Amino acid sequence: MNPDELLCLAFVGMHPDRRRQLVATYGGVGGVLRGVREGRVDVPERARLAALVDPVARRAELAAIGVSIVMRGDVEFPEHLAELPDAPDLLFVKGTMASDRGVAVVGSRKATSYGLGLARAYGAALASSGWLVISGLARGIDGAAHQGTVEVGGRGAAILGCGLDVWYPPEHRGLGQGLLDSGGCIVSEYPPGAPPLGWRFPPRNRIISGLSAAVVVVEAARHGGALITARRAVEQGREVLATPGDVGRSTSEGCNLLIRDGAIPVLGPEDLVEAISLILGPPPVPSEPVALVDALVDALGPVGRTVDSLAGTLALPVSEVLAHVVRLETRGIVVQSGGVVSRRRGPSPAIGMDRTRAGESEER
Amino acid sequence: MLVGLPDTAVREAKDRVRAAMASSGYHFPSRRVTVNLAPADLPKAGSAYDLPIALGVLAASGAVPYAVTQVVALGELALDGSVREARGGLAAGFVARDMKAPCILAGIAAGQASLVKGAMVRSIGSLSEAISVALGESPGGLVPDLTDQLIEPEVDLAEVRGQSYARRALEVAAAGGHHLLLSGPPGSGKTMLARCLPGVLPRLSDDERLQVAKIWSAAGRHNVPPATPPFCAPHHSATTPAIVGGGSGMPVPGEVSLAHRGVLFLDEFGEFPQPVLEALRQPVESGYVAIARKGISVTFPAAIQLIAATNPCPCGFSGDPVKPCRCTPRAVDRYHRKLSGPLIDRFDVRVVVGRPDRSGLVGPPGESSEAVRLRVESARAAQAERGSLNRSLGRAQLDALAWEPEAVRLFHAAVERFAVTGRGYDRVRRVARTIADLDGSGAVGEAHAAEALGFRGDW
Repeated sequence: MNPDELLCLAFVGMHPDRRRQLVATYGGVGGVLRGVREGRVDVPERARLAALVDPVARRAELAAIGVSIVMRGDVEFPEHLAELPDAPDLLFVKGTMASDRGVAVVGSRKATSYGLGLARAYGAALASSGWLVISGLARGIDGAAHQGTVEVGGRGAAILGCGLDVWYPPEHRGLGQGLLDSGGCIVSEYPPGAPPLGWRFPPRNRIISGLSAAVVVVEAARHGGALITARRAVEQGREVLATPGDVGRSTSEGCNLLIRDGAIPVLGPEDLVEAISLILGPPPVPSEPVALVDALVDALGPVGRTVDSLAGTLALPVSEVLAHVVRLETRGIVVQSGGVVSRRRGPSPAIGMDRTRAGESEER
Repeated sequence: MLVGLPDTAVREAKDRVRAAMASSGYHFPSRRVTVNLAPADLPKAGSAYDLPIALGVLAASGAVPYAVTQVVALGELALDGSVREARGGLAAGFVARDMKAPCILAGIAAGQASLVKGAMVRSIGSLSEAISVALGESPGGLVPDLTDQLIEPEVDLAEVRGQSYARRALEVAAAGGHHLLLSGPPGSGKTMLARCLPGVLPRLSDDERLQVAKIWSAAGRHNVPPATPPFCAPHHSATTPAIVGGGSGMPVPGEVSLAHRGVLFLDEFGEFPQPVLEALRQPVESGYVAIARKGISVTFPAAIQLIAATNPCPCGFSGDPVKPCRCTPRAVDRYHRKLSGPLIDRFDVRVVVGRPDRSGLVGPPGESSEAVRLRVESARAAQAERGSLNRSLGRAQLDALAWEPEAVRLFHAAVERFAVTGRGYDRVRRVARTIADLDGSGAVGEAHAAEALGFRGDW
C-alpha cells in the first residue's frame, strides 16, 4: 500500500466500514482515492477537495500541530491491533504510541458519583501497577478512568471519535494534555478537523478493545457505547470484566447483563489488579505498601464515603470526624467533593507533605 | 372638609362619621367643618382615623366635653355607630404609653396594644362607648389576650433522622448567627432542616417580640409573634417588593422585615431572580431596609439569618451515589456561576446534605431542638460578652481574637491547599470562633479551626 495514498484517503474521513467496502470494490486504496478525486465515489465536495491536497503539504500540516502518523506495517503500529480483520490502516497519534497491550476502562457517559469514583480508582490502580489504561476521553466513566490515570502519573491512551485537534468534550482538554504530559497518547483514525459526529464513535470502540487485553465495564446502561465496546472485545477475543451493581438500577443493567453472559466480575481496584495479573502477568510495578495507618482513611473504601456515614462507622462525633477529614485534606491524603470524602490518588503525597511541614516548623 | 393628604378611604370617613354620629344619637354640626390631619405633608391612608375624627368633631361642636380628645384612639366606624378594629394597634399602644394617655381601641387592635407594658388600653365596641370610656365614666370591655397565639407548629430537630453533618452545621450556624447554605439533591431534607432553625435559636426576649409585633402590625398581621423567632419562606417567584417591602402608597414591610429577629429561608436559591438577591444585600449587611417612595421614605428593621437551599446542579442529582446526573457540565457550570455573587459570599456555613442512608432513617431519633438550643444559648452568651455576634465580625476584629498557634498553622496550610480567598478566610475564622464558643473555649484551637474548614463548602 502506498503511504501517500493512504494518507490522502484518510483525510476524506469516511466511515471505516464503507471505506473497507470501497477498497474491496475498487481493488485497492489507490483505486478508491482516484474514484473520490474524480467524483465517481459519492462524498461531500469538501471531502473530495481534501483528497486532492498534496501529501507533502499534509505531512507538514500534521507536523505543525504535533500529530504523527502510524500505519499498519510500521514498527510503532501495535501488533495486537494489526491482527484484527477490521483494523485501521492508519492512525493519527499525539504523544508516544504505546506498543504494549493495555486495559480498557469504559462505561456510561451519564454516570453516578459511585461509578465515577470507581472508574477513577480503577484507572489509578491499573496505571500505578504500570499497565496502559485505555479509554475514550468521553464524559462520565471514560474521563474518570483517565483522571485516575493522570493523578498517579501513569500511562494512558485516549481513543477519540473526532480529529485530534477537536477537543470533545471541550472540558476534557486539560485531561487530554495531562495524559500527554505523563507519557500517554491520544489516538484517532479520523483526520484532524473531523467533527465529533455520532456515527464516528461505534467504529472507534473497536480500536479501544483492539488495543486492550481486557475491557473493564464500570457502569453501563442496557444500550450504549460501553456495551458495543464489550461486544467488540468478545469478537476480538479480549477478556471482558464488569463491576456488578444493584439489580434493577438502570445504570448497572449493562454490567449485570455482561456478568450473566460470562464476563468476569470485578469487585474493586485490588480485585481488578489481581484479575488483570492473570491475563497480562504480574504488574510491571509492584504495589507499594500502604504508608499511612489511619482508621478514617481505611474506612473510606474504594469510592469514598460521606461524613455522616464515616461518623457512623467510626462511632465518633461528627465534629471530630469533620476536623480529621480537614486535617487529612490539608495534608493531601483525602479530598472532599460534593459531600463525599475519598482518598486522593497520587504518588504518595502524604509522606512528602509531612516532611516539608515538619521541616518548616523546626526551622521556626 | 378633610385636609392633610387623605386617601380615598380617609376621605370617605366623613360619610361614615356622619352616619355613625347620627346612629349614636349625636348631631353632626350643620356648618362647614374642617378636619386637619397633621402633619399636613404626610399622606394618610386607611380607615383608622374615623374614630378620632368623630371624637374631635364632637368635642369641637361642644356636644361632649373637650376631655374626650385627651386619649389615643384608632378605629373604623360602622354606619350603626359600632367601632371596628383598624391597623396600627401596637403603634397606638406605644404612643399612649409615651403620652401617658388612655388608649382606646376595638377588638384585636386592643389586644396588640396591651402587649406594650405600661399602656392603659381600653377596649370599646361603639362610638358612644368610646366617649364614655374617654371621659372616664366606664372602664371599657375585656381586652383580648393574644399572647398564646402560635403561628405554625415548629419542627423539632429530633424528627430529623441521620444527617449528623447537616445537624452540626445547623447548630454552628445558630450559635454564631451565621447564614447557612444547604446544598443537596431533592428529598435530602433541606427544607426540614431549615424549618428546624428557629427552634434551636434563642427564644425572643419580650422586647424583641414587641419589635417583631410592631412590624407584623404594620404589615396588617393581627396575630402576635410567639417567643420562637419568626420563620419566613418566600417562594422564588415572589417579587422584590414582596420580599424587601414596598408597594404603592404607604410602604408595607416585606418578608425580610417579617422575618426580623428570625430566619429567612430561600429554598431553590438559584431560582431567585438576580434583582431580588441584589435587593437582599442591604438588609443582610446592615440589618434594615430603607424604602423610598414618592413623598415618603421608610426604614424597616430586618435583622435576619438567612438559610438558602440549593440543588447541586439543575437536575439535582450531581454527586448522588444512586441516580446519575443528567446535566451537561456546561449547565452545571452555568448554575454555579448564577449562585456566585455578592450575596453568596455572606454564607459562612456551607454544607452538603446527602440523602440519609438506611441506617440513619431507622436509627434512634437525634437530639431534640431543646438540647441544641441550650448549647446555642451558652455560645451566644460568650459572644454577648465580647460584644457582637460572630456573624458580624470584621477582619480587624477577627485579627484581634485569640488564636492558638496550631490553629493558625492549619489555616495557613489550608489557604495554600484549598486556594482560600481573603473573604473565605474570614468566613472560616468566624465559624471557627463560633465552634470554640460552643466548646466553651476562650482561644480558638486547632480542632475548632479544622472543623470550621469542614464547613467551607465546594465553592
